[in-house]
Amino acid sequence: MEQSLPNISSAAPPSLGARLTSSETQSARHELARLGAGLGLAALYGLALGARSGGMALVEHAIAASAGLTAVGVLGMPALFVLLALVNAPVSPLAMLSAGACSLASAGFVLAGLAPSVALLAVTIESPEAAAFVTRAGLTLAGGIGLYQLTSAVRATLKGLSPTLRFKCNALLFGFCVFAIMLAARVWYALPILKGVA
Amino acid sequence: MNSPVFQVFDELLRSPRAVAERSRAGGDLRPLFVAALSALVLGAGVFGATLATSRGGLQLLYSGVKLPLAMVATMLLVVPAFHAIAAGLGRPLSFSGMIGLSLAAAGRGALVLVALSPLIWLSFDRGLSYHPGVLLAAGCYALAGLAALDLVLRGVGFHARGFVIVTLFAGVLLTTGGQTAWMLRPFLGRPSDASVPFFRPRESSFWDALQQSSWSSVGVYRATRRLSAAEQRLTGPRVEAPDESR
Repeated sequence: MEQSLPNISSAAPPSLGARLTSSETQSARHELARLGAGLGLAALYGLALGARSGGMALVEHAIAASAGLTAVGVLGMPALFVLLALVNAPVSPLAMLSAGACSLASAGFVLAGLAPSVALLAVTIESPEAAAFVTRAGLTLAGGIGLYQLTSAVRATLKGLSPTLRFKCNALLFGFCVFAIMLAARVWYALPILKGVA
Repeated sequence: MNSPVFQVFDELLRSPRAVAERSRAGGDLRPLFVAALSALVLGAGVFGATLATSRGGLQLLYSGVKLPLAMVATMLLVVPAFHAIAAGLGRPLSFSGMIGLSLAAAGRGALVLVALSPLIWLSFDRGLSYHPGVLLAAGCYALAGLAALDLVLRGVGFHARGFVIVTLFAGVLLTTGGQTAWMLRPFLGRPSDASVPFFRPRESSFWDALQQSSWSSVGVYRATRRLSAAEQRLTGPRVEAPDESR
C-alpha cells in the first residue's frame, strides 16, 4: 500500500534532487538551467571514471559521460517533439523542453550520486573487464531512470486522449526509448574505460 | 550518551518504522545520528574482533578497528547514490533525512552483527576452517543487510517504487561495501601468514574473491589469475593452497 510521504516542500526548501527531478514545468530559462546542471553533474561521473588513469583521462571521461546525455537531448528530443506533433499529441515545445530537462537532469543527478562509489571501484578494481562492467551498470541505471522520467512526463500529457492516439504516442515513445538507448550507448562507448584501455 | 540517544538506540531494534518516519520528517536528527553511529562503530567493532578470533593476537585489534571503518566509509560513499536514486524515481527526501535513514539502517545492521557474533565465535572455536568461515561471515552480513534494508524500505515507503529504489540501492551498497571491505582486508587473517599485516596488497576484487572462496569451501582450489598467461605456460597454473586466503 502506498504510504503518504510528508510534504518536505512545506517544511523546508526543496533539496537539489527535488528541484532537478521535479515534473513541474517552469520557464524556459529555468528548464535550460536544469538541463545544464544535469549535464554538469554527469561530468562528475566521468571524472570518477577518469580517476582510474588520471591526467587527461579525467577530462576525456568527463566529456564523454556528459556527451551521451547531450546527444540524446540535442538529437532525440526535437525529433520526438516533431513526431508527437505529427500525430496531434497535445505537447508544447516548453512541455517537451521541461520533460527533456527533467529526464536529463535526473540521469545526471543519479550519475553524480554514483560518482563516489564508482571512483572507489574504478581506482581499486584491477580487472579492466570488471571496471568496464561497473561503468556500464552505472550508465544503465542512470539512463534507465532518465528514460523513466521522460516517459512519465510525456505520458502524463496523454491522459484523456482517444485510445488510438494514445497508442500512437506510446509507440513513438517506445521507439524513442530504443533510439535513445542506442544513441547514448554509441556515444558512451567512446569512454576509454569501456574500451579496456584505462 | 544522554537519554534521547538511548531511546533511539532502543527504537533501532524495536520500532524501525518510528526511526524511518523520524528520518523522513527531518527536524533535530542529532540523537539519531549519535545513536546510529555509536551502534555502527560498536557493533561492527565487536563483530570484526569476533571474526579475528580464528587468528587471535593483533588481528583482534586490527579487525575491531577496520570493520567499523569499512562500514562508515561505505555509508559515506553510498548515501549520495541513495539520495539520487530516490529522487530520480520520484521520492526526493532531504539529504539530512537520507543520511539519518542510511545511518540508522547501518546501525541496525551492526546490532544484528553483534547478535550473530557468538555464532561466529563458537563456529571458529569448534574448528571451522577459513573458507567456510568466510562464507559464514558473508551469510551474517547478508542477514544484517536485510535488517538494514527493511528499515530503508520503511523510509522510502512500502510500495512497488519503494522496492525498486531499495533494490537498486542494495546493488550499489553491496558492490561498494564489498569492495571497501576488500580494500581493508584481512579481517580473519591468513592462516599461512607468520605475521599479521594491517592491510594486504591490492589483488583482483571482492567479487573474484567471493567466487574463489565459494569454490575453495567445497575443496576446489582454482588457478589464480595473478599469473600472466605467459608465466603460466612456463611454470604451470598456480593452484591455491587449502590454507590460503585473500
